[in-house]
Amino acid sequence: MEDAFHAHDNGKLVGYTTAISPVEIFVAHDIVPIYPENHAVANLTAKKGVELCSVVESMGYTNHLCAYARSDLGYRKTGVTVTKGIPEPDLFLACNAQCFTLTKWFQVLARRGDLPVFVFDTPEHILDKEARKEIVKYCVLQLKELISWLEKVTKRKFDYDRLNEVMKYSAASSILYKKFLDMAQYKPSPISIFDALIGMAIAVYRRGTQECVDYYQTLCDEIQAKVDQGIGVLPKDQEKYRLYWENLPVWFKFSDHAKLLGSYGGVILTSLYVHAWSLEFDLNKDPLETLAENYVNRFSNSTIEDRADMAMELFKKYSMNGMIMFMNRSCKAVSFAVPTLKDILTKRTGIPALVFESDMGDQRFYAESQVRTRIEAYFETLDRLDLAQKTATA
Amino acid sequence: MKFFIILGGVMWENLNLKDVVALARDPYPSIRQWSRDTGKKVVGSTIADVPEEVVYAFDLLPVTILGTHKPLKKAPSHLPDNACSLARSNLELALTYEGDLFSGFVLPQVCDTTQHLSDIWRINFPDKYVHSYLAPRQADRPSAHYWVKEEIERLITSLGKWTGKTLSDDALNKSIALHNENKKLLAELYDIKRNNPGTLTNKQFFALMKVSQQVDKAEFNKSLKAIKDGLKLKKGKGYTDVILVGITCDPPEIFDIFDDLKVNIVGDTLVTGSRYLQGAPAMNGDPVQALTDRHFIRGFFSPIHDNVYKNFEEVKKLYYDTKAEAVIYVHIEFCESQEYDLPDLKDMIKKEGIPIHVLDTEYQTTSLSHVLTRTQAFFESLKGGSL
Repeated sequence: MEDAFHAHDNGKLVGYTTAISPVEIFVAHDIVPIYPENHAVANLTAKKGVELCSVVESMGYTNHLCAYARSDLGYRKTGVTVTKGIPEPDLFLACNAQCFTLTKWFQVLARRGDLPVFVFDTPEHILDKEARKEIVKYCVLQLKELISWLEKVTKRKFDYDRLNEVMKYSAASSILYKKFLDMAQYKPSPISIFDALIGMAIAVYRRGTQECVDYYQTLCDEIQAKVDQGIGVLPKDQEKYRLYWENLPVWFKFSDHAKLLGSYGGVILTSLYVHAWSLEFDLNKDPLETLAENYVNRFSNSTIEDRADMAMELFKKYSMNGMIMFMNRSCKAVSFAVPTLKDILTKRTGIPALVFESDMGDQRFYAESQVRTRIEAYFETLDRLDLAQKTATA
Repeated sequence: MKFFIILGGVMWENLNLKDVVALARDPYPSIRQWSRDTGKKVVGSTIADVPEEVVYAFDLLPVTILGTHKPLKKAPSHLPDNACSLARSNLELALTYEGDLFSGFVLPQVCDTTQHLSDIWRINFPDKYVHSYLAPRQADRPSAHYWVKEEIERLITSLGKWTGKTLSDDALNKSIALHNENKKLLAELYDIKRNNPGTLTNKQFFALMKVSQQVDKAEFNKSLKAIKDGLKLKKGKGYTDVILVGITCDPPEIFDIFDDLKVNIVGDTLVTGSRYLQGAPAMNGDPVQALTDRHFIRGFFSPIHDNVYKNFEEVKKLYYDTKAEAVIYVHIEFCESQEYDLPDLKDMIKKEGIPIHVLDTEYQTTSLSHVLTRTQAFFESLKGGSL
């Protein structure tokens, strides 16, 4: 981040981009990528949500917009942050495979400084296989436009050899990142989703670098050592419920949730969200093609049917026996699929779901006692089912 | 609700203004009967930008689904209360009230909500034809042109497979001609209303617009022509000329409020209004290319255009060209796209010295007293020059 603050001194531009975006193009062209979402997470985790969001609401923005966007716009207005802040942008790359909200948020930011925005439009990765091929073609065309746009803005020629090099790092780190996440399949699991949420930061921030590869190699080695020693988030005899989490986390309740669930023998192992950066680049393909294929098929841009299949794969792989479906008011892109997804997953797994509504960053939408009561009731239900199953087997 | 009698197998070619207003309120019984009598299938689409000419050319009736005024029963269990009220209303219409009427749906995806809506719809109607129309959410680069054409071609292939028919350029051109005629008639009626507000009320005019998007134009164009020819021009007195900005304006009783307050809508940017009329595709060349080109001629639509300045320029031009006195922005509750644009757009309009009033609307609204009070206050202050 320190480098980013001095980007201009080093003759570089700062590009704001979405966490799910072909940032490899930025890295290859020496644009310093910055993710306003990550800065927002820092503020929201530190419970600055209400303070920052309230400011934005007085500017005319409604309180049901994304808390990342609201807290960020609040930061721009007040300067309030728990970090050193983030560098100001020179340009924007908004990829709507993550959500449409980010595009609109970036447009608001761009208007403040009359800065250029490139929208990388990724149509939904629909079920029709032929259509998917066309979608990838459309996305490749846009990546070419993105490169021309960057060449125009920076007045520098794009280096495809450099892109190939960046792709190698990105592919290697993505494989290691997935390996790290998949360690949750061990019993007891050496990691919980909370570890994954912290661990994913480098995949988001430093994709396309040797540093990122090294980080995940070290992380995998460390976690493997835990596995070898049988060390879990909870001791093996206490790990009763291996849980799936749908959606982003409630950032300001991060550690509270881990403790609360742990007290019932529950460990949340994974979510589709953390797997969003488990990219699978094919280095034998044209880099633009494999970039397009990967970014267009992220869970957040997939059909509900495909999301259900992806989640089912995780259920099987990680032997999960519970699910928490979070209806996140802030994140419409993920949450509007949740009721349908819950119906499909409960039907296919036979496991009941805990559904609760709140907000990932705005504490005003979090009802502590209600959430606690629902969690308690959910574990009681799982206990009853477990007992009934044991009785039936006996 | 008036019962529409079919004479000689037609239903919508002899309608007067009163009939059209009633039809706009609830067109579905009439569409259902028409479909039964003609044996033609009905295909529903939500807004915006599905090329209805293509659907029509397959001998299907394209119907723009614009919400229901009946209570929400099933939609809330699929889409939470912070989802766009139009999306919830549309889903309710299909799930509870009118689903049987439609043989298929072509659903455009323009934002996160419509993307999910498309999936939810498909999952809930496994036995119906459901096609996702993937509109580009950028409109300024060559790739967008490539993509619109590709999507129109994919729609043609998909409808061809479903109906077992092959679409000829001739059939598509004929459909385009019919739709162009409809838009020409509506534009002429708009001109009459704009210059002679005593002739057509806002409610009547926007009912003509709405019904045009929901019934067979081959029939309805005859009604439009007869209505136009039969109008006795009345200038009227005491009208305040206004530009309506937004995506849709519902419920129709809002137009009653405008009419009561003698507001004359002289221009608009609504997807269901002037934007629908923009860019008649050419009829003498490649029809798919003509439909593609039309996509880029249409005005600002918040989810697909990235530059609110364009929206502002469009509003400003309309305001000055028509010599309007104010702008009314129609905000659909929980429309995220509008909500990111509105604060800046409002600032730009205010800085230009144009009086603006934001009207918060929600589908399923039963009481409009707050809208009446606020709109009344706005126009009173406008007349008093205190804005």
